[in-house]
This record gives sequence, C-alpha cells and structure tokens, in this order.
Amino acid sequence: MRSDEREALAQRILGFAGDAQAEVLVSDEDMGLTRFTHNAIHQNLASLDTSVRVRTIADGRTGVAATNDLSDAALRATVGRALEIAALAPRDDAFPGLGKNSQVPAPARAFIPATAEASPALRAQIAAGIIASAERSALWAAGYATTGRSGLTIANSSGTLVSFDGTTCALNVKQNGADSTGFAEQVANDVAELNGRLSGEVAAQKALTSAAPVAVDPGPWTVILEPAAFGELLSYLTDHFSAQSFDEGSSFLSDGLERSYAGENVTIADDFAHPLHAGMPFDFEGYPTRQLPLLAAGVARNVVTDSTWAKRLGRENTGHGLPAPSASGPEPRYLVMSGGPKSVEQLIEETPRGLLVTRFWYIRPVDQRRTIVTGMTRDGTFLIENGKIAGGVRNMRFNQSILEALRHAEFADRQYRSAGYSYSIVVPAVKIEGFRFTSSTAF
Amino acid sequence: MSDFDAAAARALDTSAARGAAYADVRFENARTERIEVRNGSVVTLADATSIGYGIRAFVDGVWGFAASADLSDAGIDAAAARAVEIAKAGATVNTRRFAQAPNERYVDAYRTPVVRDPADVPLGERVALLLDAERALHASPEVRVGRAWIDLWRTDKVFYSSTGSRIAQLLFQTGSGIAALAVGENDAQQRSFPGDIGLYQGGGWEIIEAAALTGNAQRIGEEATALLRAPQCPSGEFDVILGASQVSLQIHESCGHAAELDRIMGWEANFSGTSFLRPEDLGTLRYGSPQVTIIIDNTMPGGLATVGYDDEGARSVRSDIVRDGVLAGFEMSRDTARTIGRETNACVRAESWQFVPMIRMCNLNLLPGNVPFEGLFEDVAHGIYMESNRSWSIDDHRLNFQFGCQIGWEIKNGKRTRMLKNPTYAGVTPQFWNSCDAVADERSWVAWGTPNCGKGEPMQSGRTAQAAAPARFRKVSVGVGYDA
Repeated sequence: MRSDEREALAQRILGFAGDAQAEVLVSDEDMGLTRFTHNAIHQNLASLDTSVRVRTIADGRTGVAATNDLSDAALRATVGRALEIAALAPRDDAFPGLGKNSQVPAPARAFIPATAEASPALRAQIAAGIIASAERSALWAAGYATTGRSGLTIANSSGTLVSFDGTTCALNVKQNGADSTGFAEQVANDVAELNGRLSGEVAAQKALTSAAPVAVDPGPWTVILEPAAFGELLSYLTDHFSAQSFDEGSSFLSDGLERSYAGENVTIADDFAHPLHAGMPFDFEGYPTRQLPLLAAGVARNVVTDSTWAKRLGRENTGHGLPAPSASGPEPRYLVMSGGPKSVEQLIEETPRGLLVTRFWYIRPVDQRRTIVTGMTRDGTFLIENGKIAGGVRNMRFNQSILEALRHAEFADRQYRSAGYSYSIVVPAVKIEGFRFTSSTAF
Repeated sequence: MSDFDAAAARALDTSAARGAAYADVRFENARTERIEVRNGSVVTLADATSIGYGIRAFVDGVWGFAASADLSDAGIDAAAARAVEIAKAGATVNTRRFAQAPNERYVDAYRTPVVRDPADVPLGERVALLLDAERALHASPEVRVGRAWIDLWRTDKVFYSSTGSRIAQLLFQTGSGIAALAVGENDAQQRSFPGDIGLYQGGGWEIIEAAALTGNAQRIGEEATALLRAPQCPSGEFDVILGASQVSLQIHESCGHAAELDRIMGWEANFSGTSFLRPEDLGTLRYGSPQVTIIIDNTMPGGLATVGYDDEGARSVRSDIVRDGVLAGFEMSRDTARTIGRETNACVRAESWQFVPMIRMCNLNLLPGNVPFEGLFEDVAHGIYMESNRSWSIDDHRLNFQFGCQIGWEIKNGKRTRMLKNPTYAGVTPQFWNSCDAVADERSWVAWGTPNCGKGEPMQSGRTAQAAAPARFRKVSVGVGYDA
C-alpha cells in the first residue's frame, strides 16, 4: 500500500470515531525469506499484510482495538470496539493528550526500490552464492537471505499525519565443518549490498581456521569482540536507556544522569539518521525522534521518553514511544556506538594473548541493575597469541557486567550494522580486558 | 467455526494450475486480548483480530510458502502463484530432494473444552480483578513496580489440503500473572506468580480463577521486599530442589529444544542451533536417571499446546521422548520423521497464518513421581530450594546451561531455613538429568505453559507447555555469575 493510500485510509477511519479523540496506525508489510541448511533451501516463504490499530480516548479513558480486515464494516466495528473498551477503562489522569505532528523527512536511502521488489529468484541467488562457497570448502551452509518493505502511517484527531516507508534486507550464514563453524552476517536497506559469495567465504574461512578447536581455561581474558558479538552484547543495555527503567529503579542509570559511568572513549547515541540505520524519523505516536546522545564520553546525558514519560518526569519528549499505551515504556531503536582510532587488525596485533570472538549466543540478564549478563560464544572463537590468530578454541560461557566491560574497552575504527537482539545496532569491534568466562562446553 | 471452503478451493486449484503437485492452505481468524495494569494504571487494554491464510505449495520436491490477508479471488490467486514461484526458486538451487508430499486425509473438527468462555466475562470485571491484584502487590514502599496481566487467545482455524483434508479447530488459550519489583540500594528483586511468567493453559476463564492472583499478591510483594535484605545465595556444589515452574523451564530448554528433530537435522543451525542428540542415540542414550520420563502429549486436557491436529494436518498423539531416563523419541514433522523411519507425532505449529509451520515442542511433560513434595526435602542434609525463573541461557547444542531463579531457601537437615537472593545454578544437560533422584507426585504436578517461545526465521513466538512437578537433583553447581 502506498503512503497516500495509507493516509487516505487512516483519515477515513478517524472519521468513524466521530468527536472522540482518536489515533490510527496503518502498517503494511511485504517480506520474503529464503532459508537453507546442508546446502539446500529448506524453508522459503513470503508474507503480505496490512493492519490497522485504533486508539480512542474519552475523558482520560483509553481503549485500543486492531484488525487487518480493511472492509468498512470491519473498520467501523474496530473503532466501535476501541470506544467500548475506552468507556469501560479506568480514567488515567496522567494521559498527556494527543500531539499534533507534521511529516518528518526520512533519511536518504531508507527506502530502496530494488529491495522492495526483490524476488524469490534473487533471494535464491544469494543463497546459491553462499552454498557455492560452502561446497568449495567441503563445508555445509545454513542461514538465510531476507528482503522486505514496510510502511507506517500515523494520523490522529489533533492533526498528526506522518508516513514512513522503509526497506530492510539481511543475510546470515553459518558454515559447518566436522568440528568447527564460522559465521557472517550483513544487514542493510539496499539489497545490492548483500553479497552471498563474499559473506559465505568469510564464514567458511572462520570455520576452516577454527578446525580442531582446543580447550582453554575459563577465567578473565582479553577479548576482541567482532561487531556481531559486541552488537548483541550491547543490545542488552537498550532497556537501561528508557525513562521508565530509569525512574522505576531497574536501570544502571537510576543512580542519576550527568554522572560518569564509563571511560571517555564510550559514546552511545540513538540516531535513526546514521547512514547505516537510515530508519524511521518519528516514533509510534507520531512525534519526531531526536538524534540523542545517551552516554557521551562515558557521561550519562539522556534517557529516551515518550509523551507519557515526558509528562511524568517533566522532561522533553524525545520521540521514542512505542504504540501507546505501552507497558514497556519508551525505547531507543537505533543505537550507535562510536568507534576508536585503531583498526581491528591493530587491536589484534597489540594483543599478546587473548580471544577473538565472532558471535555470542543466548545472552540473558543475570542481574539487571548491575548489567550482569551471561551467554555463550559460538561460530568462530579463536586464540590470539603474540598478535596473531593461533587457531580455534572450544566455546565458553561468560558472566560479565556490560558496564564493567565498557570501562576496560578499546574500540576499533570501522562501524558495522549488526542484527543485534530486538533491533539492529551499529557498533565497531571492541577489545575488552578482563572479560570473564566461567565455564566451557564440549564443542 | 469459520467456513473458508470456497476460498480454499480456489487456493488449491490455483496452486495446482501453477504447477504444485500438492498444496495445503491454513486459514485463521484469531482474536487476541491483553490487559495489563502497572502501578495502578491500565497500560494495555487491547483487542486485536487478524484474519488471513498461508499456502504451502510442493513443486518438484521443494516447498514454497506464501501468506496473505487478501481474501479476494485476485488476492488468493496471487498468493497461490507466489507460493509456487517460491517453491520453484528453491528447486533451481537444490541439487537434492528431502521432502515428500503428504497423502493423508482427515475430515474432522476440534474445540478446546472450556468451562467459562472469557467473552462472557465483562471487561470491567477483568480490569477490576487486575487492579485489585496489583494493588495488593505493594506490600511495602520498596515495591516500585507492580504488574498484573491477562492474555486471551481465541483462534478459529481451518486446514485444507489437496488430498481432501478439512480440519476445523477452535482453540482457547488463556493466561494471567502478577509481578512485583522491589528496589533497594543498587539492587532490584523481582517476584512473580504463578511461576515466573504466569499460568498459561488451554481453556477459558476458569484458568484465570485457578491462578488466584489476588489471594497471592501480598505474599509476592512481601517476598520481593524481603529479598532485598536476604543473604546472597552461596556458591558451591549443593543438592538442589527446583520448584515446578523452574522444572518446567528446565525441561523446555534442555530437553524440549534438544529433541526437536529439525534442530537435530540442522534446520535451525544458524540461529537456535543444533542439538547434542543424534538419531542413533534413540534407545541407547541415558539422557537422565530412571526417575525421568518425559513425553509429548498433544491430547492433554488443559495443555496450552493441546490441539486436535497440528498445522500440517497431522492428528495429535502421545509419544515418548525419554522413557525411564533413556532417549526414546523426538518432536517430529512428516518430512523429518521419515528420515529416521518413523511417523510424525504431530509437533508442527505456526505462530499464526502469516508464518510457515515448523516443529515445536508442544505439550512436553515430565511425568510425576511418587514422592510428596515435602518428602523431597527429607533426604537433603544441606541444599538449596529454588523457585521461579529469572534468567536462562544454554549453549547452541543444548548442553552447557546456566539458570537463575527469583528466590531460594537454604535447606538444612531436611528443613527449609533462611531465604536467599539471586540463586543461580549451572550444569551440562545429560549430567544434570542423571542427577535427578526424585520427582514429586501428581499433587504438585501442573501443566505450565510458555506463551512466548522463540524459534525460527523469521522469528515465531510459540505457545508451548511443559507439565512438571518439583524435583530434586544432587551435587549441582550453584551460585555462578555473582562476582562479575
């Protein structure tokens, strides 16, 4: 559905709400994913849907209803249901009202037509490039290639009307040998950037280089985390930057802003306009999203807010709301970690003994307030000796405070967009001293 | 139940005309309702419906899947054509074939037994229940966050296949819970009930009533507060008794996922991982002690994953996964089961019409033992009793795990003594299950549901269940992760 079509639909639905305060979100998605394992495509799919979410507010009472049936009858019924729910809901005196927001221009290259039009044959071709690289190295490949477009329009009875169209694509490959594996990924908006053959070769080289892995002892290690590993680790700070967690006491930032929490080389921002993100410039209430420093030179500068939390805390609305009302509170969706002066090759060369980690797996919080998380290495973990890669090691479990890790970190220069956890994230590689591994596994 | 006969006929006919040797189409009309109260405010009061269909097309030995919400003739034709196009794209790449078209035919209907339809419960009554429960959580000023929630799913689905199957199902899945977060100096402690994420089962409003949220809320708030002052759980090797909901999570992570045959075959290798289990381990691998028998039972009354038929149209059955400690089976689909010379045990599910169906653990149950719950403590000189999950992590072969619970108590000479905070434990899956020397009896056995199990690409959120009773494990590594 084009943005003008979504806008017309949203305005028509607002009309069904009569004099009530109302907000309409129309979201439209068309995606395809080609998944493969053992050098064959085993799951190949596409999905198309348009859905409508209606929020009505009457006398401070809110109701939400949603549907994907776009007939007038169904849309009227959905608005009616939202109004019914609102009538029965408790009054919320903290309701901040609906804002009036105008269109915000999207960053360049948020929408790439070639990605939107990518065919099953194109995805199969990317998969074939990866599979060919596996076969050349007597490995088997598992992974996927995905392309998709999505559009969102938000309209409300106060006069907001904003629309965004974006495309995303990614490839993910794990190359498998007899006793070792290797991983590579690419995440982008432009399908022309996806190179199955090249990513397949990178992952294959990791699998080959880490063959016959040796066991090393757990304990504190100097590690160099590649972007896929660091991106997933850093993703577990996402909630900490929310005004809700900050206020409720579950964030490390609950001790206060304008305090130093990490070294001067640590700068984290939320930036939808970063060229590697090129994402949506407004939030799910239609407010413009600020490009926001969160930790600047180690000092906490901001938490992200939505209209509810901005009012509650007397702070600026930074435009980080999820569809309202949100039990999760506001969230940063475009984290960016700044890089450092050295290349990752230099960081490796300067390491007398350490571990190069390609990827982490199953990271989970152990102690939220202290940012302690646990997880495993996987798909390419290497011993570094005297500044050189010395072969593969068996995977290990870590228990580590993310904040403590950032206090002993040195960042590489180049940034990459990684899949992260809930949202994609832009990070460099990083060298961390004293990273704690607590046990190992059999492979 | 809904009738999509005409639309289904069109989808199947168009798929065949485009070149599919077999096709099936799954229509769903799903309604989801969620209410959540947080610190006295209703932060979620939502009602969503979604209707659509997913077509699987089998062409030249390869599957393609396309989903759409467009129920017009043109929309159905386009989706069917897309499914076939996708299958053909895969066929150009694959140099070998491992799938076969199904040949079964079922014409049947199934409906979840319900005592009280949630739709008959006025919205005001539902909200009032949660407001009352959440209010009672604030047992002290240190309880900074109280939450109470209800989830209701009503799924009306019909499966049609080109072999003539027509399976209509109306499923009710219901859940609720409460949680309190107490905050102290550089410390935050959570308690939740029932279990760690609430009580989720197949059925209606009776499940909410059984959860008894309001009656337990004050205790939960008090425990969260007490945890702020409780001593840190000690580290070392201890005998451990796990509460039933934690045993349920243990089963889910270390057995359920490990025994998914698609995972064993490498179908999830790049994401959720593979498994330490292999087909040749069937009948020989000592997965656990003789006290450990784990079965799939997709017919179980009240199971969150109980259905009449799975999402590739196979009938629900009971089957062994671990029998008296020995590996006996896997969770399977038709294509995977065939590779090991077995028949499917109907473990294929899709989150919704939009997603391709894949293997899920469904209802995976540790059968109860013959020891009363209190009896588990009698033979413990010094140990730790832990309840309600807080943290969970396991490696991508399902071997090395580390779990954390919300609350623990030290056991001395068979008696529960002081409360402990931050209890964690770690192990290796088969060693851990072989250390199980007692499972509590059916009086403590609960069909715990997991409403949000993540698997697949694109990620699907599945509703699984793992019925369990408390269990005892000997010489477990406790207290990992707390000096980071």
